[in-house]
Amino acid sequence: MTKPLPLQIHSQTLWASAGRSLYWEEDASLIVSDLHFGKTGHFRKSGIPVPPKVNREDLQRLVVELVYFGARKLILTGDLFHSEENLEWDHFRRWRDSLPVEEFILVRGNHDILKTPAYASMGIRVQEKSLSMNPFRFTHDPQEQSDASRDLYTIAGHWHPGIRLTGMGKQSLRLPCFYFTQKWGVLPAFSRFSGLAQVEPAQAKHVIAILPAEPRSGGSPSLIALK
Amino acid sequence: MAEMLPTADARYGIDMVSRWLEGRGLQPFDFQRETWEHMLAGRSGIVNAPTGCGKTYAVFLGAVARTLANHPVDEPATHPPGLKVLWVTPLRALAKDIARAMEEVLSGIGLPWRVGIRNGDTTTAERQRQKRSMPEVLVITPESLHLLLAQKGYADLLSGVHTIAVDEWHELIGSKRGVQVELAVSRIVGLSAPISPCIWGISATIGNLEEAMDVLLSPLLTSMYTRNSTEKTVIVKSQMPKNIEVTSIFPDEIERYPWAGHLGIRLAEKVVPIVEGSRTTLVFINTRGMSETWYQTLLDVQPDWAGAIALHHGSIEQELRLWVEDALHEGTLKAVVCTSSLDLGVDFRPVESVVQVGSPKGVGRFLQRAGRSGHAPGAVSRLHFLPTHSLELLEAAALKQSIAEGLIERRDPLVLCYDVLAQYLCTLAVSDGFEPATILPEVRSTYCFREMTDTEWGAVLRFLIQGGSALQQYDEYQKVEVQDGRCRVTNRRIAMRHRMHIGTIVSDAMLRVKFITGGHIGVIEEWFISRLLPGDVFTLAGRKLEFVMIRDMTVLVRKSNAKKTIVPSWMGGRMSLTANLGCMLRRKLEEAGKGDTTDPELEALAPLMELQRSLSHIPGSEELLIEQIETRDGYHLFVHTFEGRLVNEAMAAILAWRISQIQPITFTFAMNDYSFELLSDQPIPVDDGNVRALFSTDRLLEDIQRSVNATEMAKRKFRDIAVIGGLIFQGMPGQPKKARHLQSSASLLFQVFSEYEPENVLLRQAYREVFDHQMEEARLREMLDRIARGRIVLTFPERLTPFSFPVKVDSMRESLSSEKLEDRVRRMQEQLER
Repeated sequence: MTKPLPLQIHSQTLWASAGRSLYWEEDASLIVSDLHFGKTGHFRKSGIPVPPKVNREDLQRLVVELVYFGARKLILTGDLFHSEENLEWDHFRRWRDSLPVEEFILVRGNHDILKTPAYASMGIRVQEKSLSMNPFRFTHDPQEQSDASRDLYTIAGHWHPGIRLTGMGKQSLRLPCFYFTQKWGVLPAFSRFSGLAQVEPAQAKHVIAILPAEPRSGGSPSLIALK
Repeated sequence: MAEMLPTADARYGIDMVSRWLEGRGLQPFDFQRETWEHMLAGRSGIVNAPTGCGKTYAVFLGAVARTLANHPVDEPATHPPGLKVLWVTPLRALAKDIARAMEEVLSGIGLPWRVGIRNGDTTTAERQRQKRSMPEVLVITPESLHLLLAQKGYADLLSGVHTIAVDEWHELIGSKRGVQVELAVSRIVGLSAPISPCIWGISATIGNLEEAMDVLLSPLLTSMYTRNSTEKTVIVKSQMPKNIEVTSIFPDEIERYPWAGHLGIRLAEKVVPIVEGSRTTLVFINTRGMSETWYQTLLDVQPDWAGAIALHHGSIEQELRLWVEDALHEGTLKAVVCTSSLDLGVDFRPVESVVQVGSPKGVGRFLQRAGRSGHAPGAVSRLHFLPTHSLELLEAAALKQSIAEGLIERRDPLVLCYDVLAQYLCTLAVSDGFEPATILPEVRSTYCFREMTDTEWGAVLRFLIQGGSALQQYDEYQKVEVQDGRCRVTNRRIAMRHRMHIGTIVSDAMLRVKFITGGHIGVIEEWFISRLLPGDVFTLAGRKLEFVMIRDMTVLVRKSNAKKTIVPSWMGGRMSLTANLGCMLRRKLEEAGKGDTTDPELEALAPLMELQRSLSHIPGSEELLIEQIETRDGYHLFVHTFEGRLVNEAMAAILAWRISQIQPITFTFAMNDYSFELLSDQPIPVDDGNVRALFSTDRLLEDIQRSVNATEMAKRKFRDIAVIGGLIFQGMPGQPKKARHLQSSASLLFQVFSEYEPENVLLRQAYREVFDHQMEEARLREMLDRIARGRIVLTFPERLTPFSFPVKVDSMRESLSSEKLEDRVRRMQEQLER
């Protein structure tokens, strides 16, 4: 795995990982967003043969990230599961038991349509709107503000942020990225089977793009800080 | 079952149809009579005749005569019920006219047949009626034919078909719709075995008519019952000459430094007398965006034409288009500015003149457009060629010569279109299911899939049945299931969705444009509108529209009187010059170089050629001209291949790659149909010593793979393939997408497949399409072979030459707004002329 990049926000250390996760060192928490587990299965059940390996690789990567950072806690800023229950959900259920974390918290996103007990049965605590843990507030949609926690720094997902890099001629590349402003930050979608919404770097404080796996970087993705 | 003919009664059928024609004061043409004879003898083939010459009668009356020979009119009891004649036409708009003509024949002769129409416009009630009792004749589009195959019990409906006619086969053959026709024909031939139906294609002249016939009749020729019977196929050509008169419109003064997009508009005034002198004129423009500009310009030049001229292109609301077409029929319009949207279709008798603005890119297309005027048999088709830059006059001369020599382009059939195959197999699985052992030989009997390997067939089946390389555990993939050896779709939702998406025409992401007060105007590409702000004014369907907002995938606008508007550009559809025309262009250049010409176009170009000669060189037909010029912008290398934009695009990338192997160097590219340009900030190391090696075919394939961004191109191709192959469901413009949870973008799928299932058949097809169609690898190779045989002329002009100027300007266009560009180009022209 290529080296994560550290960020200082509100005197805390956050590590952005090329595995599309964010590690909060002081709290030993791994933060991920938009896993969309079961999306491939949902497509396949409807006759659209998306490669099922995507889902499996996402799961494996989640474990790799947890083990790499030695995280005790997993915080999910929404969209854990893509749709209704299906067999890939069962698959995830089986993996859940072997996830090396003490706490697993899900801030509900628009795709998380299962009832709370379904999550509870798997040892996942559900936060309906947001989760505040000084100095951060975790929510699904970064746009959703609340007065109570104005001083907290918001960490969110939902957008699937992507940045467009243009090169010589008419070449251009769109890459998933971490996007941090003065007051809030958005994580890239964890799932590899997810599109990108283009963000503009203008108002950002930090933009960290994830470069695709290349032989040069040891066959795994790497990070590049654009701002 | 189709019947074998007792020859004793053959004359009876022919007599009946001839008598009917004579009763209407018509003499059968020789080619019509010939076709009837062949059809009576059970042969299949191609009828090749210009439009407006009675091709329909040739084949339809043949089918009637063939039936009458077995079942005389006065013995109605002997007529078995059910579908007899399938008439496949690519155009919905033609169906009604054809059906009307057929009904006239039938009632005149007294044959108790019904004619039905089956296409996207057919109502559900009508389809139900047809299901209960099929008419004897069905006029149908390729898509609807496949929808018929998706219907339960289709085998019973189709097994009695004795004649299949495919209209406008030259249009279908190079497209995936043509592949649909091939597959449907293979199924019908398979169903009616051991007796074969008569299959007749109707085609305009193309360079590979023989091959076009083999493609259409391939299932017949390879079927085990008719093997070794090539004498059963025939091409019938009408001997009727089509008189075509081509006139070029000359600018008053020849620009020695030509550039596109400018002169055309300046010559608009010269169109006025042509329009005034004809009942109706069609003005063909190459792009939808330019047609909007032209429509405005003609109105500016001739304000009293308001209401007398109209605009017609593919992005205008169908209702408006139909109105224009009706007005064309009635002859109430003086002129219609149009794009390829009017290339095909019903004949508009009032059309007396055609104006072609800019390069038609090919001889076939040029002839087709010419044929839109002077429709009656024997009438003269008048076509005026209006160049958009002076060098295009060369093209006019080349077109005329090609027509005189009858050099028309080939239309190459598509091969191994697995997206269409996947869709077709799914279609069969939706209706009655299929047994692979029965269907595989049928599919292989088509021209498209004759070289398909067992492995590839297996991969397509696996794609449908298992969903690719599936992981066994936790997988719930379902689409096609195997029950007792039969492949079926049992899930009703999947079946319904498949039926709704049968077809191979994939549209871009379009938004509908509508007045706030109601009334649709047309469609516009999503990316164009995404760059507009509320209040911006753009032009569509010849109207000035102010952008208000987007709601429910619809662009809401209001009328505007603004002076300045933005003309939308629509992606796609940028044609490349054909190989034929390129070859003729090089011949004409040689003539111009030798001063050995009587073409008025070449004579008019003399000043330009003189300047080209004095600065550089005029290449002969076996020469390749390369010009190296240094300007303030840097070091330019211009290569004048006259091989079309696509070949130039690929060659530019390959050459840049090869040069960069000599020394580290960075380039920008530009290209048009004639030339390409490499521009660098350092001298480009090309000289007589290495130029041959730079243009050799050695390691061409490797160099293509290293230099051309095939991944990016394949990603673009993959979109259509993914839609046809059933990975993406297209919404209709203006309709909110259904099943949001099942939507994903083609580029995301492309990425996921590339990474997780690179062996996927559809993904591999995208790359093959890039090589075959985007880069025209075969043509690239041919060009390099030609260059290897000929001479390469390297010159070092002191300033830009007339040949290099157009491509130089094109490259500036990309970075500048058009107004600034005009100023800058004018300045450049002045400086260079000094």
